[in-house]
Amino acid sequence: MKSLRRDVSSNPQAANVTSKVFVRSTKSGKVQKIVRELYLRQDIPCSSKLCSICPSVAPADASGKIAPFVLSDRPAGTKAFPHGHYLVPDTNALLNGMDLFEHTGAFYDVIILQTVLEELRNQSLPLYNRLLSLIKTDEKRFYLFFNEFRLETHVRRGPEESINDRNDRAVRTVAGWYEEHLRASAKKGKKEKSVPAMVVITDDKDSIRKAKAENVTAVSLSDYVAGLEDSEKLLDMISEAREARDSKGSARGELFYPEYYSMSKLMTGLRAGNLHQGVFNVSPYNYLEGSVKVPAFDKPLLILGRDNSNRAITGDVVAIEVLPKDQWKSPSTKIVDEEAVTKNDNPDTDETEAIVTDRERKALQEEVKQAHGKHSEGKPQPTAKVVGVIKRNWRQYVGHVDSNSTASQAASGRRQQTVFVLPMEKRVPKIRVHTRQAGHLLGQRILVTIDSWDRDSRYPTGHYIRSLGELETKGAETEALLLEYDVQYKPFPKSVLDCLPAEGHDWRVPTSKEHKGWNGRRDLRDLLICSIDPPGCQDIDDALHARALPNGNFEVGVHIADVSHFVKPNNAMDLEASVRGTTVYLVDKRIDMLPHLLGTDLCSLKPYVERYAFSVIWEVTPNAEIVSSDFTKSVIRSREAFSYEQAQLRIDDASQNDELTESMRNLLRFSKVLRQKRYDAGALNLASPEVRIEAGDEAGDPLTDVKTKAMLETNSLVEEFMLLANITVATKIYESFSQTALLRRHATPPPQNFEDLINQLSKKRNMELDVSSSAALASSLDRCVDPKNPFFNTLVRILATRCMTSAEYFCAGAHAESEFRHYGLASPIYTHFTSPIRRYADLLVHRQLASAIGYEGEDGHAVIEGVSTRGKLEDICRNINYRHRNAQFAGRASIEYYVGQALKARGEKMAGGGTDTGIEEEGYVMRVFENGVVVFVPRFGIEGVVRLEDFVLPGESGVYSVGERRELAVHRTTEFDSEEYTLRVEEKGHSEKERGVNVELFQKVKVNVSSVKEEGRGAGKRRVRILITG
Amino acid sequence: MPLDTSTTYPLTKLRLDGRRWNELRLLQAQISTNPASSGSSYLSMGNTAIMCSVHGPAEGRRGDASGAGGSAGAIVDVEVNVAGFAGVDRKRRAGGSDKQSSRIATTLRSAFQSHLHTYLYPHSTISIHVSVLSADGSLLAAAINACTLALVDAGIPMPGLLCGCTAGMSGSASTPRDPRHDELDPLLDLSLPEEQELPVLTVGTTTSVPVGENNMDDEEGDMKVAVLTMDSKLHYTYIETMLAVGMDGCNQIRELLEGVIKGSSRA
Repeated sequence: MKSLRRDVSSNPQAANVTSKVFVRSTKSGKVQKIVRELYLRQDIPCSSKLCSICPSVAPADASGKIAPFVLSDRPAGTKAFPHGHYLVPDTNALLNGMDLFEHTGAFYDVIILQTVLEELRNQSLPLYNRLLSLIKTDEKRFYLFFNEFRLETHVRRGPEESINDRNDRAVRTVAGWYEEHLRASAKKGKKEKSVPAMVVITDDKDSIRKAKAENVTAVSLSDYVAGLEDSEKLLDMISEAREARDSKGSARGELFYPEYYSMSKLMTGLRAGNLHQGVFNVSPYNYLEGSVKVPAFDKPLLILGRDNSNRAITGDVVAIEVLPKDQWKSPSTKIVDEEAVTKNDNPDTDETEAIVTDRERKALQEEVKQAHGKHSEGKPQPTAKVVGVIKRNWRQYVGHVDSNSTASQAASGRRQQTVFVLPMEKRVPKIRVHTRQAGHLLGQRILVTIDSWDRDSRYPTGHYIRSLGELETKGAETEALLLEYDVQYKPFPKSVLDCLPAEGHDWRVPTSKEHKGWNGRRDLRDLLICSIDPPGCQDIDDALHARALPNGNFEVGVHIADVSHFVKPNNAMDLEASVRGTTVYLVDKRIDMLPHLLGTDLCSLKPYVERYAFSVIWEVTPNAEIVSSDFTKSVIRSREAFSYEQAQLRIDDASQNDELTESMRNLLRFSKVLRQKRYDAGALNLASPEVRIEAGDEAGDPLTDVKTKAMLETNSLVEEFMLLANITVATKIYESFSQTALLRRHATPPPQNFEDLINQLSKKRNMELDVSSSAALASSLDRCVDPKNPFFNTLVRILATRCMTSAEYFCAGAHAESEFRHYGLASPIYTHFTSPIRRYADLLVHRQLASAIGYEGEDGHAVIEGVSTRGKLEDICRNINYRHRNAQFAGRASIEYYVGQALKARGEKMAGGGTDTGIEEEGYVMRVFENGVVVFVPRFGIEGVVRLEDFVLPGESGVYSVGERRELAVHRTTEFDSEEYTLRVEEKGHSEKERGVNVELFQKVKVNVSSVKEEGRGAGKRRVRILITG
Repeated sequence: MPLDTSTTYPLTKLRLDGRRWNELRLLQAQISTNPASSGSSYLSMGNTAIMCSVHGPAEGRRGDASGAGGSAGAIVDVEVNVAGFAGVDRKRRAGGSDKQSSRIATTLRSAFQSHLHTYLYPHSTISIHVSVLSADGSLLAAAINACTLALVDAGIPMPGLLCGCTAGMSGSASTPRDPRHDELDPLLDLSLPEEQELPVLTVGTTTSVPVGENNMDDEEGDMKVAVLTMDSKLHYTYIETMLAVGMDGCNQIRELLEGVIKGSSRA
């Protein structure tokens, strides 16, 4: 037999082939030995313009071109290297000082070695990507030198040598070779010029020592920077995590998180009261801070840091254990963004991760200091840690791939890689996702789900579900919004549409009163009924009338669309509506609860046509005292559909004296009395930062469509009667169904909720807030007025509203009667009856009321399904509460998106290719943090975080780009007084009074609002950036 | 994780193993490695190593109706076996061949069935056995080359050497070419990591042995593409370049193989 061994000696080419052998271990723990060939060569150019040899040997690429030489022939010099120098950084230098290398003031002519690039990639993909883009730009003169392939600089790992030592040696070898090579080659060229020095930058002391022995110049990064001009500024930019990186060498497969308690232990603990159960909630300003509200305590318990939140994601039901008193802390006063702190994490490597990165640890330490500081204000609060998860509430999250975490930008790669997906929801941590299509997913809105979060992984692992489309396209963003708020937006299935009346749009109220449709219905067609709604409203739920009675009293009627006539219990349409729960209103889209045909036609109380209705009719005295109330199914014919403005004009127009106008005037008069009564009883006039968008003409400035909601008298006219109807109906159905009546309550907020606000008001404005009852609160809110600042009162009301709990649907049996109270409306009982087209709760209440008044329905037997079983009702309540809340969030998010887009459109129009200068507005400081403030801009109904870099200090020129601004943050210091709620921002080293900016709570500030493209978490969302300009 | 071609190649014009775009990996080959067979070869292209042996032409088995019995020429029968230790992870296969090896076998069979002068051996079978000892990319191309060598060793007449080579395309090859930046980065003879990352085209070409004088004067026109496969998604505008590069690679390989054959007969 012949030997098949590779015979190297016979082949002259083979002499330069060597192989690189390395061992790697896979995720599953398998160890793989990888062998790669290396072809060593001598034609890799040094790329120095000084060199006279390399240009002649440098090979051409496929198109016959030779890469231009990069390194300057007259490199910049420093004190230590007067003849100029080329830099050869090692991996650690890049890890610690990437910002420096990107700096435009220094660090030119840098040779990046293949060895270093590869090591950097393993350590931090984001830094690797930044370095690559540096190499690609021409002006910084970075040259990527493939040292491993050059015969002279190839280094073999010695038998006892560690991989790090070998890499360091490779760096020194290259420096040595370059030195020699340049000396040899430059000699032939310009003899008189001395050769630039090769400077190795390394933070490894051992390497510096060895370099000295090998006659290679090596300095540490900080020493090098110290020798530069402007060194003070530059030294700041060296990463603080340096020492930590050196000591990193933690064992593999380390478990980052503590184990959860066993189920039985949890149950025993919960029963014994040692553990508590609640919903985990993450602060929107600080992703490391969460809170859990448990029934046992008045105030929510704080959960600080990753360690304590132990893999819980916001929304999960968790079991928690209170920490010992010495670990209690005050809630943080800092804005901490996940992307800012952990942007250099690498999705692939688990081994280099610590549970708390050093930066995070540092952020936490500062907070502890704060808590232990002398201010009594930030007194420590009870903290707790998560010891078990009772129920995960993971859902599908909408997000996008973090472009920094992908390996290559090329779309052709088919290799599987791990990337981070940043969810739109800021409070959810980034999700690690394996994908083979990372390239395609970049720049797309995608839907992912979380699969698991193991103890040995710092971030949860999930998988890709589908792509919604490109970032920032209207379709994708709308769908993202709907998905994010769990809105059912699929078209109605056929089974639902089959439940609609067969006549379709031609359906009419039967003409013959003998028809079964008239059973139990009163004929109210001769009443002068009209409806008043927002302009362009299609789904008209309610209509009103008032007329004088012979006895001097008045008859007032509220007529609500009789949806329950069309939606029979437990058919497909009813089930679909109960799942949807509510209609969702977006700026440019409405997601209906009921099919179009019903909502905008058959049920809708359109003018001039007969419609079925459910009427509540009162007899009231001229002083609006209610004498009696009556409920009936009816047939009505609305005389007119007004918009609020139209109705107002008609009422105000003295020349109009027809009956319809008179009846509206009566209604208005009654509503004012009712309103006053309500306020006397202690109803709150709350404010929410609402704006409405009126889709105007395309040509105009889109921002003019953004309008703050105007309150006309007619608005409150409708509102008062709806409230009255709701309260009347609530009383009626509670009488009939003491256990199963569907009611709505607004719990009295615990006084602790207001503590912060009370404090802030008394400190800053010397005002008092009495929260002992809703009446007291209402009157004290009225007193919170700043004559110089009319908006101040609204601001306080907004803040007060946030301190309260949210209203909820419940079924009467679930709470004691004393708990039925609706705090905001100051009513002992309340329900929703008046909008059955858009709320499922109202539909149920209709059925209950029909049953309560003995309405027997078309076919003669009462419809009591959905009225009688409490268990089922409670399920429905839970769902509609959830849907209701989400619908509100979705609506707000939609407006926010619209405002962002409008700002962007305006910016593009105004700038005409130049920079966007934004729009000057007034804003109010709502919250003060240690490193920023939250500002509310009433004009657009938006609030935004203003970070350090977004403060425009006196003497600074107006607007910078986002990137330039970001750099500023490093040079800024703040003085924060948590007791006085003030923040002073100034530039480091410039503490003169006139150079800083002071802001305090409730202060009115001038802001500059513009829409900027976000790179991190909110990519595509177009963050609305607010600059404080004075 | 090591670097990848698509990021670093545009910067340095060097591939992950230090080659330039138009360089083959180190190709080494021997023939007559297994005296027990009619013809045999051992060929390595970089870390891809293939052993090939040819048996026959032998009489077709009797009763094999579909086999050699009815045909006018010899039947080429190819079996490919990728050794369990050929890749990075040891694979244990429960008998039979996997998808990859049966695809290679099918391609080799149809290539050599039409390439060889099978009409000289009616009612007989030429069986080729290919063993992949180590797989590091361009498996099909290496197998074609190994088979050619073994068939030459077995003395089976063919019009010319059938040589295979791969070509790839670096850059975003799934989008149409940008006419303004007409920089193409084709790569020759891809290794496994490159194959996983980039679109790959395998091309096999042949020339007829110059018989008459008129054949001598234009060699170029005589080259024929005999094998062409591609599994990757690629925009069609790149195909021509890749094909040209691949065919150029085949020519280089042909010279090397000729050297092997000539060198061996001398020994």
